[in-house]
Amino acid sequence: MADDRQRKFAKQMEIKFTKEHGTNKMEGGEITDKTVKYYRLGVDQNPRKLEMKKAGAELAKKRGLVGYNPMMHCGGIPLGQRALTPSFLSGTDMMVEIDDLHYVNNSAMQQMWDDIRRSIVVGMDLAHETLEKRLGIEVTPETINHYLETLNHALPGGAVVQEHMVETHPALVDDCYVKMFTGDDELADEIDSQFLIDINKEFPEEQAEQIKEAIGKTSWQAAHIPTIVSRTTDGGQTSRWMAMQVGMSFISAYSMCAGEAAVADLSYAAKHAGVIQMGDMLPARRARAPNEPGGIPFGHMADIVQTSRVDPEDPAHVALEVVGAGCMLYDQIWLGSYMSGGVGFTQYATAAYCNNILDDNLYYNVDYINDKYDGAANKGTDNKIAANLDVVKDIATESTIYGLENYEKYPTTLEDHFGGSQRATSLSAAAGSAVSIATGNGNAGLSGWYLSMYLHKEALGRLGFFGYDLQDQCGATNVLSYQSDEGLAVELRGPNYPNYAMNVGHQGGYTAIAASAHAGRGDAFAVNPLIKVAFADSLLPFDFTAPRKEFGRGALREFEPAGERSLIIPAK
Amino acid sequence: MAYEPQYYPGATSVAENRRKHMSGKVEKLRDISDEDLTLILGHRAPGSDYPSTHPPLAEMGEPEDSVRELVEPTPGAKAGDRVRYVQFVDSMYNAPSTPYFRSYAAAINFRGVDPGTLSGRQVVEARERDMEELAKFQIETEMTCPALAGLRGATVHGHSLRLPEDGVMFDMLERVRKEGDNIIMHKDQVGRPIDKKVNLGKPMSEEEAAKRTTIYRVDNVAFRDDDEVIEWVQRVFDQRTIYGFKPEN
Repeated sequence: MADDRQRKFAKQMEIKFTKEHGTNKMEGGEITDKTVKYYRLGVDQNPRKLEMKKAGAELAKKRGLVGYNPMMHCGGIPLGQRALTPSFLSGTDMMVEIDDLHYVNNSAMQQMWDDIRRSIVVGMDLAHETLEKRLGIEVTPETINHYLETLNHALPGGAVVQEHMVETHPALVDDCYVKMFTGDDELADEIDSQFLIDINKEFPEEQAEQIKEAIGKTSWQAAHIPTIVSRTTDGGQTSRWMAMQVGMSFISAYSMCAGEAAVADLSYAAKHAGVIQMGDMLPARRARAPNEPGGIPFGHMADIVQTSRVDPEDPAHVALEVVGAGCMLYDQIWLGSYMSGGVGFTQYATAAYCNNILDDNLYYNVDYINDKYDGAANKGTDNKIAANLDVVKDIATESTIYGLENYEKYPTTLEDHFGGSQRATSLSAAAGSAVSIATGNGNAGLSGWYLSMYLHKEALGRLGFFGYDLQDQCGATNVLSYQSDEGLAVELRGPNYPNYAMNVGHQGGYTAIAASAHAGRGDAFAVNPLIKVAFADSLLPFDFTAPRKEFGRGALREFEPAGERSLIIPAK
Repeated sequence: MAYEPQYYPGATSVAENRRKHMSGKVEKLRDISDEDLTLILGHRAPGSDYPSTHPPLAEMGEPEDSVRELVEPTPGAKAGDRVRYVQFVDSMYNAPSTPYFRSYAAAINFRGVDPGTLSGRQVVEARERDMEELAKFQIETEMTCPALAGLRGATVHGHSLRLPEDGVMFDMLERVRKEGDNIIMHKDQVGRPIDKKVNLGKPMSEEEAAKRTTIYRVDNVAFRDDDEVIEWVQRVFDQRTIYGFKPEN
């Protein structure tokens, strides 16, 4: 395999490491240089740090209590003894300050998680059966349209049945709505287009057929409760808020008695029998409600990301967008904040979706696979290669060594991925996703992930943070065995899977491995067609077809989030 | 026939160096005095007694216990020393050692040690005098180049960064610097200034570092070229994977 190809990270490394930003004094040199001059200019070299420094000083003056002060770092030696470099969102030309990739500083990242947490899929058929069979009420496309109009008033917090009720202000909950979808084209034709997620329009024809076949004639609602509600409460609120408003809307739309027993059936269907949460609740020791990140299986997350329907011919691109979304949610928000309370997890995650290093590794693998295995990395089912250990070893070994050698040939990439955990994430995600794409088998991909970890550790005599010793050294043993909780299809594993619950830098990769297998095959979804369709909706504030671009827009302060409180606070 | 540990596969100089580090049969290159060692570790004042957390074991009247009879306590444990640490950072630009090989060297050749292995640093915790014995060994031998490796208790950023022009691995706290032909350390592990400059000796030349290193690099000894190591990594992977199917086999 020719190794003289143009590296996808070359431009990013040149701009990051050989050009000035702010007053960082970085100039000249090559991205292959092994030596550099360190100017030790501190935070004053970086525009965002300067802005933060000024804000910290103003805050201290205003409140009479000190706050952010970069000189508190290391007893007076501030960050920036090495050059503080910006980053590029991979696959884009968006150059951002790394501080702006912390989710606190990035409204798009917040909104991605808001949009997942506040979303729920609810079946309509159980309710319709109750109305028709028990109460003898006719359900027609017209009544469904009327119901959906009612629910789009009620779901954000509008009253539909009772007098003298408080209501939420529409301008505060303008991101809240419900749409429906069905595998029944005839019914879909009768639904008012404003209420419909049109599977035929949103998905390529081949994928639409797969999804409609999986969903059949059933009908579903994709409900998104207000961001402001979800932020004030938790993920467990999503089903409750939705079910309450669904129940009230049925009562109103079908002129039911507010107290009749059938209402309980409708509530039960909406809260339990016919509801799909994005994530399961967690056991008591981690104590989180449904729809919190620790309970979102990797397969669900793979389905939430929508790149597969807008760029189905490029499975690697699908994998890379999923890596970005997965690392942000699972590393930055779940492990980084929910589980650890830390701030530094951001840079574990950004390594996987910034500066094209992982992208370069994965696209190299695609070329390698296509050359050696007759186009097996192209989308398709007939072109896949057998998921056996020889294939895993060949692809994962080549992928990992290629990635390792890049760090050695291009010292700027090594400096960019300055931590072993960053390198381990990138190398293993490339190896695992590549095996998945080539075989169409996510667990084979997972196997490639673990071999990559072994090879990395032996080549460099170092791997990642302490936990990598456990998680990554024992993982191979339960990849292909399905014994109780020792083994499970990667699509159904999640952040709380045994050994997965403690270590940053992995879960986004696992999600990509799950997504890659299906993107490689041209599948319309990884696990759940209902979740895939629920997020195939451009009305959502966050664009799930392009998570990395959205993170860039957030960092550049171009993203417009939902759930803002400007209306009810003093103007500044 | 007496068993001889093989330690590590591979036919390259890197593999051979790994075997040396693991076996403890490494070349001594320099001396560091007890006073200098104490200064740079920064745990106590040179010449002061070892602080203890319990009386000497001999004075404690320990209960009868077959394990206690079998296992001879280390000197530090006998004396009741507190547990302290030494932490090394090794540059990826051909520093002689790497975190895993420091850990293997410690665990194989020293008793009562608790190595922790990360990507940018490697820490060993032990009773204070036992830790000092290990630290002295690793600093004085070919396991350490004073320019490409360093003692850093905190703020360890540097192992993966390009080298500064003087070849001394980046350290945000500048605990070491090159003076003339020698590397001197003027702050302790966590960056507190110390009373005197400690001379750590001459740095290895590029050629010597490349010869002594335990890291594979494509511009020195490429990992890709050590077939036996890759074969054994893949064999470990095979065995662990297959074990998941049928442990009884």
